[in-house]
Amino acid sequence: MFRSRSWFGGGWGRPKNLHSLEHLKYLYNVLSRNQTVSEHNRSLLVESLRSIAEILIWGDQNDSSVFDFFLEKNMLSFFLRIMRQRSGGSSFVCVQLLQTLNILFENIRNETSLYYLLSNNHVNSIIVHKFDFSDEEVMAYYISFLKTLSLKLNAHTIHFFYNEHTNDFPLYTEAIKFFNHPESMVRIAVRTLTLNVYKVEDTSMLAFIRDRTAAPYFSNIVWFIGKHIQELDTCVRNDADHQSQNRLSDLVAEHLDHLHYLNDILCLNITDLNHVLTDHLLHKLLIPLYIYSLSSNRRRMSNNDLVAQSLSKVSLTPKTSQNSSPKMHDVTNGKVSCVVALFLLSQVFLILSHSPLVQTLAWIILKTDKTVFENGVDKLHDFFEYEKQRERQSSEEEASGSVSSEKDKDSSCSKENLLYEQANINITDEEKQRLVDPMEGMGSVKNHPFLETVYEALDCTENDYAALFGLSLLYAMSSNRGVTSDITEQVLRPKKSFISKSSTTSKDVKYTYNTFLVEKMLQIIIFSCQPSCRVRLVTLELALKLFIQLTVCDGKTVLSESHRHTIETARVQSMALLRNFYKSEEIFLDMFEHEYCDMLKGSLNVEWLCMDSAILLPPTGTPMTGIDFTKRLPCGEVERARRAIRVYFLVRNLVLTLNGEVETQLPLTNPQSCVQIDQALDLNNSDLIACTVVYKDGTKMRRFLVIDILQLILVEPDTKRLGWGVSKLVGFLQDIEVAGDKDDSRCLHITIHRPISGASTNRVPLLNAKFVFDDNIRCMAAKQRLTKGRIKARQKKMQHIARLLEIPGQSGPPSPAFAGQGGPYTRSSVRPTRVENRALFNINRGPGFAAPRRDSSPGVIHRADESIRRHRDGESPSRGANLKIENGRRDARSRDNSSSRVRSREGSPRMPRPRSEEIPLELIKKAPHSIIDMAPKITIIPRPQTPRVISSETEPSTSNEHPKEVIKTEISVSEETSFIAEENGEDDENL
Amino acid sequence: MVEPIFDYQFRLILIGDSTVGKSSLLKYFTDGKFAEVSDPTVGVDFFARLIEVKDGTRIKLQLWDTAGQERFRSITKSYYRNSVGALLVYDICNRTSFDNIPLWMSEAKRHIEPHRPVFCLVGCKLDLVNNGGKREVSKEEAKAFADQHSLFHVETSAKNGLNVEEAFRCVTQEVFNRIQSGEYKVEDGWDGIKTGFSRPSGLNFNLVEAEPAKLSCC
Repeated sequence: MFRSRSWFGGGWGRPKNLHSLEHLKYLYNVLSRNQTVSEHNRSLLVESLRSIAEILIWGDQNDSSVFDFFLEKNMLSFFLRIMRQRSGGSSFVCVQLLQTLNILFENIRNETSLYYLLSNNHVNSIIVHKFDFSDEEVMAYYISFLKTLSLKLNAHTIHFFYNEHTNDFPLYTEAIKFFNHPESMVRIAVRTLTLNVYKVEDTSMLAFIRDRTAAPYFSNIVWFIGKHIQELDTCVRNDADHQSQNRLSDLVAEHLDHLHYLNDILCLNITDLNHVLTDHLLHKLLIPLYIYSLSSNRRRMSNNDLVAQSLSKVSLTPKTSQNSSPKMHDVTNGKVSCVVALFLLSQVFLILSHSPLVQTLAWIILKTDKTVFENGVDKLHDFFEYEKQRERQSSEEEASGSVSSEKDKDSSCSKENLLYEQANINITDEEKQRLVDPMEGMGSVKNHPFLETVYEALDCTENDYAALFGLSLLYAMSSNRGVTSDITEQVLRPKKSFISKSSTTSKDVKYTYNTFLVEKMLQIIIFSCQPSCRVRLVTLELALKLFIQLTVCDGKTVLSESHRHTIETARVQSMALLRNFYKSEEIFLDMFEHEYCDMLKGSLNVEWLCMDSAILLPPTGTPMTGIDFTKRLPCGEVERARRAIRVYFLVRNLVLTLNGEVETQLPLTNPQSCVQIDQALDLNNSDLIACTVVYKDGTKMRRFLVIDILQLILVEPDTKRLGWGVSKLVGFLQDIEVAGDKDDSRCLHITIHRPISGASTNRVPLLNAKFVFDDNIRCMAAKQRLTKGRIKARQKKMQHIARLLEIPGQSGPPSPAFAGQGGPYTRSSVRPTRVENRALFNINRGPGFAAPRRDSSPGVIHRADESIRRHRDGESPSRGANLKIENGRRDARSRDNSSSRVRSREGSPRMPRPRSEEIPLELIKKAPHSIIDMAPKITIIPRPQTPRVISSETEPSTSNEHPKEVIKTEISVSEETSFIAEENGEDDENL
Repeated sequence: MVEPIFDYQFRLILIGDSTVGKSSLLKYFTDGKFAEVSDPTVGVDFFARLIEVKDGTRIKLQLWDTAGQERFRSITKSYYRNSVGALLVYDICNRTSFDNIPLWMSEAKRHIEPHRPVFCLVGCKLDLVNNGGKREVSKEEAKAFADQHSLFHVETSAKNGLNVEEAFRCVTQEVFNRIQSGEYKVEDGWDGIKTGFSRPSGLNFNLVEAEPAKLSCC
């Protein structure tokens, strides 16, 4: 009750307080004294109006007497009076007035206050007031005022705006007048407003919208979009040189806006409205302009006039276009280029999912045949309905389960089957059989004018300009939620049918897929694997995506043998292509790893792809257009190498996916097998070099330097266990730079760069510090180790790549490091000593071993695991090039398979058991300088040794007396590594 | 500018079917004029007037005029809560408007709860009857209904102002009486009754009275 004091608190309150009733009273006086707007008082009025809004909002939340005062003095009437004045500076005041009202409506929370403000048509008279819209500011505030009001709409407040009796809805009708305003902010506000209106569940209001405004409004929008894409098309046609990328991207963004807006309306699920909108969209835009443009085929020129007639007939059909303007005709007379049409249709299918719309559209594209087409497009929809009906019947027949009905369907509906080519593969357990001659399909596709155009677009012989859009359209159609499977099945997805054998009750599943399209995809894939081809990476990736959709059903690949062969050929070719770029140059390794990381960042998002206007222009090679690498052709040797790497990864990934396998060979570095920071390592008998690390900021740390196969590790002694160390810094040897200090022979400057990773783009070095050693001998030793470690780490990875690529000269024998770990050397000698090796490593081992303390986690995979695993690839090339393919496939086969194979071989007596001190032959061949001094290695022994007898997969640790020789102890518990040692052995054997 | 001085502020609401004459009644009461043509109220309208009760206490009436149309029913409901009294308005020449009075009354009661509003049953357009129009609701019947529900009853004409003042005055007096008797109290968060600060020494006893009652429950 105390707040009511303020009614009389003028004397002892705070008159200077802007947020007070007193101030409002003062402002009221100002308004009542300045009822006529003039040049002199307009600034005062503007300031007063602004303050009034502020006080009211404050009062709304803090002091109800403020609003009471506003009510009692009927201050809203002052507003209206000011607005209606046409005298000097009124537009200046109007802007403030609209802004004030806007703020007021946006912020008033008290519903009684809000209702009062909306009452008695004050707001409606403001809405219909003829403001000076040529004034940009007035326009902006007016439209945002309307938008604010629309946000307040609900089932209650709608009655303030929509008057059932007078059938009047100024808020809506005034707003849609600006739907095509040149200012995009205005257009967006209008769209928001209309959506807010449609959202209100008020039957009579929606009836008003449908009966009085929907047809003209939607036909206007549709016409506007049509005009818009004509512009877009012109822009594409006239810009082969990528001169107006900005304009094009604006136009594309605009089209996306249109589609999203239409989708927003359709998603509100207002049946009547959707019906009108779908009708307008289909018959005035999508069919006559988008789809019709697909028929613009050179070979069917003669049909075009006919088609044009039937299409324009549709666009002017009275029942659908009572309100269509004659301008509409102009739009449909023009066509857009096939490329643009495919692009726009892709967007349509990626964004809209209103089933009646996309279903019809998909049906027309996929199933329309020439006869229907020639009958006129207005028949398309009827035919579609008829087809639906028929399909429903036939599916019922099918449900009855009799073979005869199936056959009946096949014969009676042969027309349907002819509509699209098909090849059937009957998968009965293991057996696959081709049922339909693909040639038949080739012929029948000619009957599908639209599908034929799409298929033709997929041709990449000259370039992949149109192919990308053809692919994206097919992909978008097959992934659209609104398109039912009965339409996409067989064309875009494998068809699954149950054939019941009459004699037995068991049912066989029969999968069929679109062979013609699959062959098109294979063609693109094969093309991509050729040197100097004109297929962009993005096209390949999309083709692969679609390929998977076309051929994978129920988690199985339903691919025929011959198609599998083609894939295999593609794989071999992609390897061959990349082999051309395989060099021992350092950059190749970095590129290889970088591309892999880049690819891991995420697979292609088709929706994002179709937002990029850059793809609308003819494919280009120059990076100076700013176009993303994957969306253009490679420029120069380096980019060609990058491309070859990517193609290799993509095709490899496809093969793995088709085989249902997981990647086990990549990335080159298995992060799980690396030493992590703060890991405890057993460093007994390891080569430790004491040093002081001096950072740039002057901080010094005493550390021990350990050099592993792939990593440089800085450890500090573990306080808990003697001889153990805790890793404090880990870096990859391949990323280090070492430089001596010309002033101090005990010093090294070491920089460790960050490894390339998909996650971070941080290129600040991991470490950049001076290492001070005890004396210059240690310093030199460290330098030598680091330099050689770097070389060898890189060599090792390069060899890994060579094995992946099945490069004959390089691939056979493992690198020294791997050889060191190899089982065959040590297996026999180790077995006796194993028993004593209760601990994690072998006492007799050569120096430089380190093992992390991970006794409790038997599943840990040493980094060597994966590298050894990779030997499997290397194994076969050494045997001969003709085995490559087979090997590649085996490569992808399941692990158990190979491990069992390996196990049996293990027992083979003819397997040589090289003495561990022997230097593998290939080392001498390849890197003679590096053989003698083998870098010390750290072995991670994941769990206490299991006696060999129990598990032949576990490779026993081995020891060797020779101090110079390094023997890698390897126990892998992880199944992935099970066959490693044996494979090595085999490699040796092959040598 | 000097604000009118008053001791109390009551908020009243006018309800009843559409076109019974609520707005005209209110316009005559606040303006002393009768408008021959009147648009239907859209949503709500607001008026204020100062009157004196018998002992000279000055009362400011805040008056909410509501739309009788069904489509605004959900809107007008939100104005009941802060009212202390309601004028149930019907058209003497429109039977249906009288038949709907019980509905209006129960709706008002329901929304004003826990407060018990003062009602006045107001028949409008008495001038039409006097000019030979057809009366559809007899005075006796309305009186009987009012007595049965303990309402005031008055028949008015907004055209010549007959009994208009009466209608508002009786409600105001009754609300004031109930304050005097202690039935109504000024409450924070309820705008049905508020106090004004009329005289420098005019600290109201009700205000004092209300406080201990509140404190005691804490």
